[in-house]
Amino acid sequence: MFAKKRLELSIEKPAFKRACRILEDAGVKGYTAFSAFAGYGGGMRWQKGTDLSASQDMIMIISVMDQDVIEKVIDALENLIGSHIGLLNISDVTVLRDEKF
Amino acid sequence: MSSELILSTLLSPIVLFFILGLGAALMRSQMSVPESFAKGLAIYLMMAIGLKGGVEMSKTALSPDIFAIAGVALVLSFGMPFLAYMMLRVTSKMSRVDAAATAGHYGSISIVTFVAATQALQLAGIVTSGYMVAMAALMEVPAIMSALVLARRGMKKEGEVAGSEKGELFREVFLNASVVVLVGALAIGWMTGEAGMEKIAPFFVTPFQGVLCLFLLDMGLNAGRGLRQGWRQLDAGALSFGIIMPLIGAALTAPLCWLIGMSIGDAALLITLAASASYIAVPAAMRLALPKAQPSIYLTLSLGVTFPFNLTLGIPLYIILAQWVGG
Repeated sequence: MFAKKRLELSIEKPAFKRACRILEDAGVKGYTAFSAFAGYGGGMRWQKGTDLSASQDMIMIISVMDQDVIEKVIDALENLIGSHIGLLNISDVTVLRDEKF
Repeated sequence: MSSELILSTLLSPIVLFFILGLGAALMRSQMSVPESFAKGLAIYLMMAIGLKGGVEMSKTALSPDIFAIAGVALVLSFGMPFLAYMMLRVTSKMSRVDAAATAGHYGSISIVTFVAATQALQLAGIVTSGYMVAMAALMEVPAIMSALVLARRGMKKEGEVAGSEKGELFREVFLNASVVVLVGALAIGWMTGEAGMEKIAPFFVTPFQGVLCLFLLDMGLNAGRGLRQGWRQLDAGALSFGIIMPLIGAALTAPLCWLIGMSIGDAALLITLAASASYIAVPAAMRLALPKAQPSIYLTLSLGVTFPFNLTLGIPLYIILAQWVGG
């Protein structure tokens, strides 16, 4: 069993590609993204829209990585959610296969 | 004639379905149109309107009149955000960046309002030109540039776009879904002409009205939800801007239509385009370029206030205005 960090980023769709680039450039071995259905924040409810640009949608990105990798991405992601709508959570997790992360 | 026009527009199936969706959302109904289906409907509508415009364009040669209309369309799209920005700064308590982002929406256009206006004109027996679809596409983008210029003035940092992100913004502005589908379908319609259209007419012409009803039901739901969730973000000045700005846009465009001698149908469409506000292309570009601007403000105004106003009362008013100035 190996100790790792789990990053959970909820980010508005227009900034999604920027978040992916930050993770990839830092050498993250993998991440999974999925579309959020609805939520509440900033004093109002929101839900996934039907417009073509999807500019109001929120995307959740989950990735597990080593401590040294998370240190590389954290400042850039903090900057990103400083200007865009988003939330960042980091937690400790245990994984079975060290080489996958 | 005027009251007949207003009544026939208000009682058309497309407007009634929009009102149904709007009312359902305001009364907190759980009704919804599946997301992928709604997006498919939007692509279908843009393809159909682009193809139809392209086919009509293939029948007429390019003339100086068309270039004059294109020039006016570009000036309107570039210029209207500056006027909208000044109005917002005077009448509401909006921040500079929110006012700039909102102003960008009012220089760009709503393709659904354009489609609804063509349907109302068709109902009134007024002829329009196919190249007006090209004018709609032309007016989508310049307003975004004006919004960025406005945001940069006096607050450099918030209006700046980092070098690495310029490409992303460029793609969003010039290659967003509505521009690609609309311009692409227009070009295909132009190239294939009437003969090409005959082959696909059972899919793109006959069911068009029914699909538009479905789409407007979804638009009504979106507008109602947006209004219900976002109206608290707007003060009285901002709310009244959502109705006054389209009327100012229409009033400014009408004399220009007269000046370049546009037909009634084309003038009505250009006035409608100038009076409409974007809620697809511009919000996406603003999220990239001006992320500090609050989407709950500009989307509630363009989709929750201006769009319903234009669809119900605005379009008949713009047609009446065009009848005064059109040749």
